Amino acid sequence: MTTIERIAGAAAGLVALLALGEACRELRATEPQQSTTQQPAKTPAVVRDSANPFVAHLEHIRPGETPPRGTTMRNPYAGNAQAIATGAKLFVSYNCVDCHGADGSGAMGPSLADGRWHFGGEDGEVYESIYQGRPDGMPAWGSTIAPNQIWMLVAYVKSLSAGKDVSVENFSGRTIERTGH
Amino acid sequence: MRADFSGVRGQALGTADTAVDAVPSAWPLSPRKLAAAAVLALAAACSSTERSPATVTGARIAVPRDGSAGEWTMPAGDYSNSRYSELDQITTSNVKGLHVSWAFSTGVLRGHEGAPLVVDNTMYLVTPYPNVSYALDLTREGQPLKWKTRPENAQTAVGIACCDVVNRGAAYNDGRIFYNLLDGHTVAVNVSDGTIAWRTQMGDLGRGETMTMAPIVVKGRVIVGSSGGEMGVRGWIAALDAKTGKEVWRAYNVGPDAEIKAGRRYTAFYPQNRGPNQGTSSWPGESWKVGGATVWGWISYDPALNLIYHGTSNPGPWNGAGRGGDNKWSASIIARDADTGEIVWAFQPTPHDLWDYDAVNENILVDLPLGGTTRKALVHFDRNGFAYTIDRATGEVILAKAYVPMNWSTGVDLKTGRPVLAPDKIPAPGKKLSTICPSLEGGKNQQPAAFSPHTGLFYVPTNNLCMDFETRDVSYIAGTPYIGANAPEIAGPGGYRGEFMAWDATTGRKVWGIKEPFPVWSGALATKGDVVFYGTLDGWLKAANARTGEVLWKFKVGSGVVGAPMTYLGPDGKQYVAVYAGIGGDMGLLIAGDVAANLPYDVRERGSTLPDLAKWTSWGGELFVFSLGE
Repeated sequence: MTTIERIAGAAAGLVALLALGEACRELRATEPQQSTTQQPAKTPAVVRDSANPFVAHLEHIRPGETPPRGTTMRNPYAGNAQAIATGAKLFVSYNCVDCHGADGSGAMGPSLADGRWHFGGEDGEVYESIYQGRPDGMPAWGSTIAPNQIWMLVAYVKSLSAGKDVSVENFSGRTIERTGH
Repeated sequence: MRADFSGVRGQALGTADTAVDAVPSAWPLSPRKLAAAAVLALAAACSSTERSPATVTGARIAVPRDGSAGEWTMPAGDYSNSRYSELDQITTSNVKGLHVSWAFSTGVLRGHEGAPLVVDNTMYLVTPYPNVSYALDLTREGQPLKWKTRPENAQTAVGIACCDVVNRGAAYNDGRIFYNLLDGHTVAVNVSDGTIAWRTQMGDLGRGETMTMAPIVVKGRVIVGSSGGEMGVRGWIAALDAKTGKEVWRAYNVGPDAEIKAGRRYTAFYPQNRGPNQGTSSWPGESWKVGGATVWGWISYDPALNLIYHGTSNPGPWNGAGRGGDNKWSASIIARDADTGEIVWAFQPTPHDLWDYDAVNENILVDLPLGGTTRKALVHFDRNGFAYTIDRATGEVILAKAYVPMNWSTGVDLKTGRPVLAPDKIPAPGKKLSTICPSLEGGKNQQPAAFSPHTGLFYVPTNNLCMDFETRDVSYIAGTPYIGANAPEIAGPGGYRGEFMAWDATTGRKVWGIKEPFPVWSGALATKGDVVFYGTLDGWLKAANARTGEVLWKFKVGSGVVGAPMTYLGPDGKQYVAVYAGIGGDMGLLIAGDVAANLPYDVRERGSTLPDLAKWTSWGGELFVFSLGE
């Protein structure tokens, strides 16, 4: 049994969000198998045996060879267009949109669409940010949103990142030129 | 309160070099927009007419300050909220000689709203989160710190606050300063040594409650209120014993009579406001429990009537489909007994608000010559674009006139006090509305106006913004936003986005105005020297002639100004003017988008309302203090 499956069993307390039910049922039918055997060989297996698997790893430098767990978890829905579409709906239904802005462009909370990540941008790190919350006011959603839905949110949020970083702004001309990677 | 940054339009960032025409494609001249502009021009006729200089004789501050004219002991200088100073060393003829005397960095790079206090030759500052307070010794060269106090303050609050992590300042009384912490506590700090006398939890972060407003102290009690109108909280105002920090009373603004303290003392001027339990019967079911109506603005106090006056925020959520009715007392002005908190009267400028028109803006208490007599008045520049002159004893609306371009209403019916709605500007599910004016930022927002008894005029920092509006579904999840709408903003008619104006509250007319390229998000200061001061988002502190509106002096400070200038007498007998430079707050953070070079992990797309602001300023957190030359 993977961590994901165990957490799924525990997270029964879903918020009643009517609009979501149907879309989620459709997705479950095509849900990919979650198995550590699908992990690429270059990263160690998910740590499974911790009493509290969702301890934050806020740093990327570390002692020893074992990477933080968040960098090794794989999103079963990575690149799945249907999951991304559902994730976009969840993003509105769970009120993410009012903090992070339409299209995740930032408002009360930070932008999710600039390719930059305060707490790490690996799928598992974004999962952890949603699941356990972050200290600047990101709520801990782990007891409210089912793991498969969190993964859909991760898929959606990660889909926003391409090409939106505006690291350079040039004000010298008639228009503000903004460039970035 | 907050601006919705979502639904931002993709548009070209065409930006002119000069501030005056630095309005990009925000007011495109499509036929539809031209038609809208024509309507707006009609609706705004009163505010677009420049008049020859005029003054109002016989107007006076209702509650002039009783302390030294050289001090500044409470957020607005006095209980009337006049922001007027009797100091007159700085005059219209010598103001051009103002120069920076000294400056102080607060160490915090966020929106610096409010103003410092000066009491007994000591200056007190409160920063945005983490709400550090400083005491600066003005008697010594270099203004060394007497103390610095950093109360415990939960970091979670940073992400719960809707509109940046601002704090609007402290109030001084009897050896202590009192202020609120973003995480929902009120603290009392002993000015003798900076120790915390008490720290009382008032709000519940878990339900989305934060605190940003500046308290006032009335008869040994500290009056405070909550923020969180975008989070589905239930707004309240409360009084704490200044000595012990114990809560003396708390009144909600929505809910049953017993909880909003509407009882024996309550008298409704307008018939539609009579009857029991207005705070529940004007809501369907129990929707009032998440109905907003917070108290994040300014409080004034009339000792003769023994009333405190405060506004309440928008109702929750913005999408009003599920809360049919007037939604009392959200978006309202409330007069309460200063001792018990009982409602004496209440008036709702925007019944069933659908536009985010909070009524939290300051209520300035003045005695005005009206209809041949002197009336005890309250003047209030509402978010909804109307300037109200109200009888502060009864709640009767004497006058209500548009002070900014508007089209959501055609006027206020003085028989009922209610606005007459424009049918094509009423948001509803499935409707995509365009160009509603003013925008959700209001004709004016937190930026407080000033009043000068010398000229009898009000000095009002305003916005000229419009919005499109589209509702969307919304679900209540405790501790998260409860909004349900997208409302991207554009510049209002004329293309300028703010104006600093002088207003005659006896006639409801603009006397003069200074158009600004950006919303004027700073408070105003009026002085006996007939010089009025205000700051701009692009970082200018400006001084204008109170009678003519001529800009006499300006200085570019280190960051955009969203606080309020204040003035005091130094120990050397000289008049000083102080202002925070620190852009932020709703306009600076959410609307301008990312101007935070200190947040490398958040390089976000800018909003379309002020895409050009970042050219002129960046984040800061500094106090600038000015005086006349040697």
